[in-house]
Amino acid sequence: MTPLLIVLLPFVGLILPIILARHSHTAATVGALIPTTLSFGLLLSLAGDVFAGEVFVASWPWIETLGMNLSFRVDGLGMLFAILILGIGTLVVLYAHFYLSDSDPRGRFFGALLAFMGAMLGVVLAENVLLLAFFWEITSLSSFLLIAYWTHVPLARQGARMALAITGMGGLLLFAGLLLVGHIVGSYELSAILANGALIQGHDLYVPALILVLMGAFTKSAQFPFHFWLPNAMTAPTPVSAYLHSATMVKAGVFLLARMHPALSGTPEWFFIVTGAGLVTLTFAAYVALFKHDLKGLLAYSTISHLGLITVLFGFGTPMAALVGVFHILNHAAFKASLFMSVGIVDHETGTRDMRILGGLRHAMPITATLATLGAAAMAGIPGFNGFISKEMLFYESWKLPFIENEWVVPVIVTVGGLLSMAYSVRLVIDTFFGEEGDTPAKPHDPPFGMWLPVALLVAVCVVVGVYPSIAEPIVNAAALATIGGVMPEGYEHLSLWHGFNAAVVMSLIAIFGGAAFFMLRHKLFALAERYWPNLHGKLVFEGLVERVVDATRATTASLENGSLQRYVMLLIAFVVAAGALPFFLFDFAPGNLPATELEPVTIVIFGIFVAACLGVVANHKRRLTAIVTLSVVGLVVSLSFVKFSAPDLALTQLSVEVVTILLLLLALYVLPKETPSEGGFSLRKVRDGILASVAGLGTGWMSYMVMTRPQDSISMTHLEKAYYPVGGGTNVVNVTLVDIRGFDTMGEVAVLAMAGLGIFALLARLNPEHIHGVTRRVLDRYPVMLTSATRPLLSLILVMAVYIFMRGHYLPGGGFIAGLVATVALIIQYMASGQQWSSERMPVNFRIMAIIGVTIAVLSGATSLALGKPMMTMLVPLGEPGTVMTLYFDLGVFLGVVGAMMTILTSLGVLSRPASAETLAHSKETNPWKP
Amino acid sequence: MEELPLYLQSIIAALIIFGAIFAFIGSLGLAKLPDFYMRLHGPTKATTLGLGAMLVGSMVYFSVTKGSLTLHEILITLFLFITAPVSAHILSKSAIRSRIYDSTGMVEEKTRELF
Repeated sequence: MTPLLIVLLPFVGLILPIILARHSHTAATVGALIPTTLSFGLLLSLAGDVFAGEVFVASWPWIETLGMNLSFRVDGLGMLFAILILGIGTLVVLYAHFYLSDSDPRGRFFGALLAFMGAMLGVVLAENVLLLAFFWEITSLSSFLLIAYWTHVPLARQGARMALAITGMGGLLLFAGLLLVGHIVGSYELSAILANGALIQGHDLYVPALILVLMGAFTKSAQFPFHFWLPNAMTAPTPVSAYLHSATMVKAGVFLLARMHPALSGTPEWFFIVTGAGLVTLTFAAYVALFKHDLKGLLAYSTISHLGLITVLFGFGTPMAALVGVFHILNHAAFKASLFMSVGIVDHETGTRDMRILGGLRHAMPITATLATLGAAAMAGIPGFNGFISKEMLFYESWKLPFIENEWVVPVIVTVGGLLSMAYSVRLVIDTFFGEEGDTPAKPHDPPFGMWLPVALLVAVCVVVGVYPSIAEPIVNAAALATIGGVMPEGYEHLSLWHGFNAAVVMSLIAIFGGAAFFMLRHKLFALAERYWPNLHGKLVFEGLVERVVDATRATTASLENGSLQRYVMLLIAFVVAAGALPFFLFDFAPGNLPATELEPVTIVIFGIFVAACLGVVANHKRRLTAIVTLSVVGLVVSLSFVKFSAPDLALTQLSVEVVTILLLLLALYVLPKETPSEGGFSLRKVRDGILASVAGLGTGWMSYMVMTRPQDSISMTHLEKAYYPVGGGTNVVNVTLVDIRGFDTMGEVAVLAMAGLGIFALLARLNPEHIHGVTRRVLDRYPVMLTSATRPLLSLILVMAVYIFMRGHYLPGGGFIAGLVATVALIIQYMASGQQWSSERMPVNFRIMAIIGVTIAVLSGATSLALGKPMMTMLVPLGEPGTVMTLYFDLGVFLGVVGAMMTILTSLGVLSRPASAETLAHSKETNPWKP
Repeated sequence: MEELPLYLQSIIAALIIFGAIFAFIGSLGLAKLPDFYMRLHGPTKATTLGLGAMLVGSMVYFSVTKGSLTLHEILITLFLFITAPVSAHILSKSAIRSRIYDSTGMVEEKTRELF
């Protein structure tokens, strides 16, 4: 239970700061701290056992058929990351309390931050890899919200969009990779995947799976060539940068490398792809970092570089390198988060982050200067700080590589990386805190205690671990054990400051002094870079690419959608014809051999009228009113034919649908021209449409004929059996099918109907009939007395009928859907006879809410069986007498949904045809030929 | 189906034939009469009477064969007798609004007085 709570608490608790932010700033911060600290406490209660080597796995079934379970795993690696996420998370919340200005909406900030925190915890503690991919996507989404937090800044929106596009795409690739891995192993649980490394690596799909998983890791951890989103995401508020872009989210990529290490690593493919990408990123980003004048830009590239370093370590594939990688994750999180926060303080207090303006701040901000200098020393890898130890171990490991012939290549590259890292660290400190005092927009001073406390705590970690590394041993060992997969590396005893004089010491010395020298030459280098550095920005390339994709999409859409409804209908029918033609070619065109039923005079007359009415519609299609009236004849004949073939339910439904549809068409016709404009004489388009319509009609007819002349088992028999009383609880097979056997379909249909109603309402809500072109506003006199007085008693009569039809529905023809339509007719008659105003005054019902309530009732009654341990939509839940099954409530939901949706649609359309208001009436008196 | 006594058969048959004749006359009037207002009489008066007669015939038939009084038809008749005059009223009202005049010129005269 505890792992689940750790992950869920931030999600559940994110409502707290949102609510409390209305109260005060402090309340919002406390609201954010409560779930964070609770979750942290729960995590630490497991820490002791995890450090001792225990692995907690807890699992609840979720979507078992897809292999997705709500299962969590707390092992050393997950524990290390969870401690980083919650520990630094707590500090960031505290820091943000002082950082955010009064006008920034705090509820939204902390809410998104907590959502991100929960998602990150989900990623690092997931046992099921599908769950991992799920949380991975949530981190992309919530980080999008955090980067674009200052929504009024265009750069922030662009940066957020880019981050989402890159990491979201990576997430999808990762998902595909994990699906492949799961397919190879046969399980999506990590325990199974980690134990089957040899199986995965021997499989044909290993390389595709590896590449897909690595794409996920590289995009998230900003590895070359996907690195450019990270500097652009620096438009986020600094607490976000400190949290997401140094300590947690960008570490998700390297976390994934560590997580999949036992299953995927150790092959040449792994070594060359991972190490290669890491080495390029490490040196390239460190070099770019040196030329960034923006403090946050420098830190962003330095973060990319350090992530490259960690990637390199995991790429080596050796146990000891993995251990160093894990150690550096911890170290980097500590010094980089502290540096981001220091930079945030400088920005906050001086109003600028440009190192060409800043300088000499050590006098005005002594505390910040000290803390930032210590953090930068750790980043540079100066002895006595944690960064030194992990970097030295990297140098040492770089000599012991598999798969490579020139053993000096990697050591040289990492030394260059270390040298550049030293150079930009020195620049960060000197150009900001030393030298001449710059002319800053605001007069700087040290921040309040609460703002530098988080920085001090992180810097303390850097120093303590740097001097006394074995303090970090339990957590590093536990995490390394999980990464390596069981056995600690040979020859490893303790993390220590001094390993004796070896090649690594020499490399460190070269890096430190070389870096310092490089820094001295920086002004010449800047000048050179200005002249020769190619002006190529990842951002521009990306934006150009996106623009091209958007253009291509628009062109495709425009070629299909030109705004002509006739064209859409043509395309739809053409598609249906193509799909319908398939069975003809798969089977044959011949009818079956079932004898035809005898022709009766009644049948001939009914279908004679039917054909005549159809032809009448076509012949009259230009005069729209006539066409609609003729169309209603078609509908009535269909209804009659249902009566003829013993389908009373269908007949009732058809009849009521027919009435409502004709009403709808008439209402719509009010705002449309009364006659279809002439299409001109003969044209190829007419021929094409004529052929298409004929093919569609004849094809459908012929297909029905083929089906009906073939002997086959009717599905109605199985339905009849199921509907039989003990199984379906009713005797009306149609209704039992609708509300029970195929209840899910009905639920979906009612939901769609309600959505359509709301959609039409939204579309028409702001439409002013006065503005519709070509509509003549008739000025009506009073509502006809005979009609109004005749319809009022009808209301109760028809409603009683609706109730009757509803109640008997389960046993005799009827049911919620038909009753709903009948009730709609009853109500709409009042609107027609007595007017919108009169009726709505007497029916103060919001039909939109009614539709929503209806759908809710349908869903809830379908879900009741879940509470009793049966699958959803098990309607025959024993609730006392056999008559009181859930179907009645479900049908009630259907009834309300239909009435609500249909009334919403009809009244929305009806508003358009309401008589002109008194004001318009007075205005139009002179122009109205009917008034003297 | 059991055989009904002759007098009942005669009554039912007479009612149905009577109804059918009136329905036909109504339809014929709708088709043949010279102007809108006259044509309106056919379906609203003659046909309604014809339908009423058929419904009575149906009532007698089902009451006798089922052995108990059936009242479905009364309900249908009720609806019919409400809708027929109301629709006739609405139709003629719309016609006046739409300036449809009769052959005698009476409607035109009255309309001019009205507005």
